[in-house]
Amino acid sequence: MVENIVEMQKISKAFPGVLALDKVDFNCIAGEVHAVIGENGAGKSTLMKVLAGVYRPDGGKILVRGKKIVFASPKDAQNYGISIIYQEFNLIPELSVAKNIFLGREPKNKWRLIDTPLLNQHSKALLSDLDADIDIQTKVKDLGVAQQQMVEIAKALSLNADILVMDEPSAVVSGRELDSLFRIIRSLKQSGKTIIYISHRIDEIFQIADRTTVLKDGQLVGTVNTQDIDKPRVVNMMVGRSMTETFPARQQGEKKEILALQNVCRGNLIKNVSFKVYSGEILGLAGLVGSGRSEVARIIFGAGDMDGGRVLLNGEAIKKAAPKSSISCGIGFVTENRSKDGLVHSLSLRKNLTLPILDRIKKWCFIKEAQERLFCTNCVKEHGIISAGIEQEIQYLSGGNQQKVILAKWISINPTLLILDEPTRGIDVGAKAEIYQLMRRLAKEGTAILMISSELPEIIGMSDRILVMRDGHIMGELSPSAATEESILMMATGQNSDLNQAKEKPLAS
Amino acid sequence: MQALAKGPAVRSPVSLSSAFEKYGIYIFLGLLFITASLISPQFLNPQNLKDILNQAAALGMVAIGQTVVILIGGGGLDLSVASVMATVAVIVAHNTRGQDALFFPVALICLVFGLLVGLANGILITKRKVQPFMATIGMMIIIQGLRFLYTGGAPKGGFPPILRFLGTGSIGPVPMSIFSLAILAVIAVIVLHKTTLGRQIYVIGGNIETAYLSGYRIDLVITVVYMISGFTAAIAGLYLAGYIGVSDNWVGKGYELDSIAAVVMGGTSFAGGRGGVMGTIVGVLIIIMLYNLVLLLHLPVQVQYVVKGAIIILATSFYAMFRKST
Repeated sequence: MVENIVEMQKISKAFPGVLALDKVDFNCIAGEVHAVIGENGAGKSTLMKVLAGVYRPDGGKILVRGKKIVFASPKDAQNYGISIIYQEFNLIPELSVAKNIFLGREPKNKWRLIDTPLLNQHSKALLSDLDADIDIQTKVKDLGVAQQQMVEIAKALSLNADILVMDEPSAVVSGRELDSLFRIIRSLKQSGKTIIYISHRIDEIFQIADRTTVLKDGQLVGTVNTQDIDKPRVVNMMVGRSMTETFPARQQGEKKEILALQNVCRGNLIKNVSFKVYSGEILGLAGLVGSGRSEVARIIFGAGDMDGGRVLLNGEAIKKAAPKSSISCGIGFVTENRSKDGLVHSLSLRKNLTLPILDRIKKWCFIKEAQERLFCTNCVKEHGIISAGIEQEIQYLSGGNQQKVILAKWISINPTLLILDEPTRGIDVGAKAEIYQLMRRLAKEGTAILMISSELPEIIGMSDRILVMRDGHIMGELSPSAATEESILMMATGQNSDLNQAKEKPLAS
Repeated sequence: MQALAKGPAVRSPVSLSSAFEKYGIYIFLGLLFITASLISPQFLNPQNLKDILNQAAALGMVAIGQTVVILIGGGGLDLSVASVMATVAVIVAHNTRGQDALFFPVALICLVFGLLVGLANGILITKRKVQPFMATIGMMIIIQGLRFLYTGGAPKGGFPPILRFLGTGSIGPVPMSIFSLAILAVIAVIVLHKTTLGRQIYVIGGNIETAYLSGYRIDLVITVVYMISGFTAAIAGLYLAGYIGVSDNWVGKGYELDSIAAVVMGGTSFAGGRGGVMGTIVGVLIIIMLYNLVLLLHLPVQVQYVVKGAIIILATSFYAMFRKST
């Protein structure tokens, strides 16, 4: 008899405008790695937040170890051994690793003061269990993303959690860091923990999951043993249709030089970066997180400082770069983190769509609202943005639709150069395909596109040329026909020797 | 049948509570009005109602500017408004010598003075990166000192009849001051909701990073916002001087905190980007009505403070219930 450690029955949860979960059943066997997959907006995260006590379900019940429970808060869920590691980390940047791990639960000595030696000892033990080579005195702000993730895992383990929920852990790490994460998940499983692994990347579940639950539009599609299924079948379950080719065929437009960087420098983040971007092409910029890709993008857009070098737009050096002048020169910039700097959450879809074109829809200093509404209605139709109307607050849209809004707003300036930093991060398969089509169409119409991405298949599938960055340097250029995921990774990590050896090294070094 | 079950149910379970958040303050005003008229027979006396409106006018004008400053976010607030009001009153009293002929040029100087104080605040905050709290409190103290140097501690002169009319007169049954407040409020609503400036204020208050990457001139907008606040404070100073009618070094004392209280009570978020002028006006009416009620019931004036403090805390906790995420 297999025992379900977690059983969720007919869970429903509604948000303004959407029914996020519709009578979803979910169960988890003790000691398994259980993947929950689905497109963005399928309800994966919502389901897990219900399990972790963050959201109160509108209907249904939860049983943990066969006992019916109602969680009033995340603390309640923690007491039942359930711990969740969010996509966005909950760490205090200014505090040390050790203090973060035991935040709010510091061991006390006999005078009721924090027992620092014990705190350090426990933290060290937890991290060494994870094989993570992190100095516990380092401030969290000085750690890389992958190391921060390790700290989060250590924190969850310090709560004596035996059910560990990981919300899209692979969204922030890639390559060998991901391999290392998988290794940790396997060893946690061996020590008897139950792991719920949320992802929208299909390939990963075959590497890691015993069973897989597929959600779609807030409903359960099914729970299957991972070994009984294959990739096309999962895709079919996720999107309700089979997808063969995700990347549209290459179509280049007219080619002339749009942008040139000459020996651009910025402290020790960017060192002597030079490259050109031509109209009608998609230039892929690959590299690990922290290699300087996003800083290059910000400099081109005029939102980042540079110490030396020149940026030439249409052959002319830009003197005093600022977002305002960049926009009027026709540069659009889709940033990496849409919730941090891509949206104004408190405003409506309409007001978010016209952010960069306010100057074009005004008469004297008044906004021509009728024109604005018409523009937005057309935009929503053209890009297939799903919402409860253009007056809905943007924060209630799903991630994919928010990203479409951001793309649409930049396309409305008729960009000659469009910078896309991780354009499909956290976006479902369907919306991804739409965004790829859109990029191809823009390139064909003559827009130059600079695409930064950590998804190697995307880099290879979409780029007309590929540049690889490492530690602020451009390591080289590859053509997509010659490039493989391995060759890009080798350049990005600087490993010219045996690749497998590189992959096996622990990530924290 | 199948299609019906599968379609995403578009319902909004929080719409009721968000409506309550938005209109709760109006309901409270209504309840306060009814309560006041029940417990004090003089409350509904036309002269008393007129007094309330007259007193609300000056505070309302300051609070309009304060709303715009708080909307811009980033800890935005203007503590120099009361100092501007008192100084404006003193300038008018000294320079018009109670004559109508000199009123308009002097009033113009007063408005320019308000704008200049706002400009100084704006430059300190945007260019020198001084926290708004510290910049405007510093400015408040500087102006206060200058005012005392200027008057030598004892304000002289008087107010011209035209200013007395603005402060106390009526057009038909409508008090002049409330008429002016209405015009100012309408202009503020139009600026905030129909112009690019207003849109930029909400965008900057909502997410300053996004505003920057959308090419907005953030420093300029923030400076303009403080100038608006200085301007409305100068107008309010003129009205309050006209209403009180005696030259005093402390015209408008306490209005900086009262106006902030009115803004927050009216639903404008300290985080910026949410709220507006109409709520603020309601907040002003609530504060003035409470003052009035304390007077009518012959309670010691100190009770005002207790009641006001309680109401501020109550209102803030009311909004906090609905704004868990922010």
